[in-house]
Amino acid sequence: MSAHDHPKAIGGSLLDRSMLMLLALFGVAAVVMAYRFFAGVGPVSNMTDGFTWGIWEPVNVVVFTGIGAGAYSVGLLCYLLNKGQYHGLVRPAVLVGAIAYTLGGSSIMIALGRYWNSYLLPWVPWWNLSSALLEVAICVIVYVSVLWIEVLPSVLDGAAASRSPRWSAIGKTWGPRLAKAMPYIIALAILLPTMHQSSLGGLMLIAGPKIHPLWHTALLPTLFLVSCLSMGFGAVVALVTILNLTWNAKHDPKLFADMSKVNAGMLLFYVVLRVADVAWSGKLRFLALDFPTFLFVAELALFLAPALMFLSPRVQRNKGRMFGAALLAVAAGAAYRVDAYLTMYRPAGWTADGKPIAAGWNYWPSLGETIVTVGMAAIGVALFIFISRKFPVVVVEDVRAHTTVGSGPAKAVASR
Amino acid sequence: MRISRRDLLKGAAVAGATTALAGTASAREAVEPRPEAVGMLFDATQCVGCRACQTACKRANKLPVDLETGETGGQYDAPRDLNSTTKNVIKAVEGANGPTYMKQQCMHCVDPSCVSVCMMGALHKEGEGKKKIPGERAGTGIVVYDKNTCVGCRYCQIGCAFNVPKFEWFDAFPLIVKCELCRHRADPKQEGLLSIANPACCEVCPREAVVYGRREELLAEAKRRIAAAPTRYQQHVYGEKEGGGTQVLYLAPAGVSFTQLGLPELPDRSQASFSESVSHAPYLHGVTPVALYLGMAALIARSRKKEEAAEHREEGK
Repeated sequence: MSAHDHPKAIGGSLLDRSMLMLLALFGVAAVVMAYRFFAGVGPVSNMTDGFTWGIWEPVNVVVFTGIGAGAYSVGLLCYLLNKGQYHGLVRPAVLVGAIAYTLGGSSIMIALGRYWNSYLLPWVPWWNLSSALLEVAICVIVYVSVLWIEVLPSVLDGAAASRSPRWSAIGKTWGPRLAKAMPYIIALAILLPTMHQSSLGGLMLIAGPKIHPLWHTALLPTLFLVSCLSMGFGAVVALVTILNLTWNAKHDPKLFADMSKVNAGMLLFYVVLRVADVAWSGKLRFLALDFPTFLFVAELALFLAPALMFLSPRVQRNKGRMFGAALLAVAAGAAYRVDAYLTMYRPAGWTADGKPIAAGWNYWPSLGETIVTVGMAAIGVALFIFISRKFPVVVVEDVRAHTTVGSGPAKAVASR
Repeated sequence: MRISRRDLLKGAAVAGATTALAGTASAREAVEPRPEAVGMLFDATQCVGCRACQTACKRANKLPVDLETGETGGQYDAPRDLNSTTKNVIKAVEGANGPTYMKQQCMHCVDPSCVSVCMMGALHKEGEGKKKIPGERAGTGIVVYDKNTCVGCRYCQIGCAFNVPKFEWFDAFPLIVKCELCRHRADPKQEGLLSIANPACCEVCPREAVVYGRREELLAEAKRRIAAAPTRYQQHVYGEKEGGGTQVLYLAPAGVSFTQLGLPELPDRSQASFSESVSHAPYLHGVTPVALYLGMAALIARSRKKEEAAEHREEGK
């Protein structure tokens, strides 16, 4: 894939059957969310004072943004290491990032008890800089804006090629201006995720006695940072493979193999860090025939499996196997994150030999919580489809098979 | 991308400066108890479980009753634990010599996790919050709540090792609920302690099982009691050191451990100190993000220029 491949708007029907299904899922979730604003968080969720974040924080924020970190991973490769061949992946990755982070942020607004006070968050004098959550909140607010600014070139390209002279003028003036400012925006788009993805791990440092010792470590920020990169790379490969199957998006096996080798490095680095940390801090004694050990081993296996697959030439040559490995890489990071936030969290803490201390609280997500999470994911997919149909985001294999918006003046004239 | 000697030198200079700064960025210092700090001492050998404090707390804080219906009818205010309508609760542990009663409420930690994590300082030590609130005086160490800066994120509940802050789950406009040491019952006309706070539970306790006072004096009193009757007590004051120290201190009878009473085993270092040290270290007081941003912006701008130059050359062919 050379830097000269240009993304095209996919076009096609906006309201096909899959789109209607996604919107229906979101519609149900919207009803639950609306009800929450009248009745409180309790009636729609199984959250309690013991399990106060349920799945909304660990899944909607921590896992969604891990998937959205594809923008960060590809950005690092593309801009910092100056691997121009990855340019074609930037727009879809950034769009997924923008959507995932927006949904993460919106989910928080649903989960916040006193959401109306959150307008105060930008007021710097009241910032408590000791709070990892404050840092995450501020970083995510800024980063969402940065990501949408990064999506803008697609929109402006689309506008520049528009038939309406007014849109076309806007696109032609602002496109180049934005291009000039881009390096300073991209630098932010790399700095901010570095900060908040590690802070997402740092968030759980304070919960020391409540998190199983195999998960609670000073390396939480590092492990979260590494796992967001492995999730991000995996998400981009999985995404482009799906786009290739549905819209004939350009799929360059060589490029994916190269990128996935980097990902294999990330996944292995995670495993080495995790195991070395457990061994180094004398926590091997917590390994036993029990549920925490099972989860610990399962997580490591989830990280190791895609790493080994990515390194195997047999997998690298096969689109399907690569897709499977990429999904595993996403699942690995997701599992680690949910375990650290929820599965291995016990409000009354753990005994000195790693057994949970009994408390009156139990948790399993309610139907309402699950519906909100699924609905948020659904509207995310719907947004992605909508934007890539209308604006040039995806690089397609064969331009002629597809339509028109943004594919250049000649095309636009022909389709008039 | 070719790397020139000048780039290498620049890189080395940045790396060197960063390392030097990393060395000087020290861990966050431990918070010491404030000399004027107030708190409570609960002596479990004295409590007979009358629950007068529970009722007084509800009345003083205008909290609704927590009704349980008995089998033969009749309703009782019988909270089973701290909750959004109960800031103070008495629990019982069955032992060889009959039950031991345990009083639970906010511990008013010396270095509280909830204060460390609260985004805009809604939970803060009195008079030491981010926002200046009239009428608050610094130094009492009471952990108070300001609903106007609370966004209801519930991170305090994740952080608190004692599971004290509670949330109004079934309310469209919920609050965080926890003991604030009846600071609102302080009498400004009084001298001394009662001008700071006046916990209703301590006021009504018929056996002085729970008393209000300066933390320093309460700690001395607790040690005096242990020394006077060494066979009667556990040889330990819970809260002197646990989790960096608490302003509510506990004495337990011999033969009943503090964990049986529901108090967690905690290291002497506060979780806030650990968490803040680990989180802040890589930031080097804000130098890292700025350096990282400038470095990356320069790098990206440069590689873009090179790319454009290369494209022009190609087009020129």
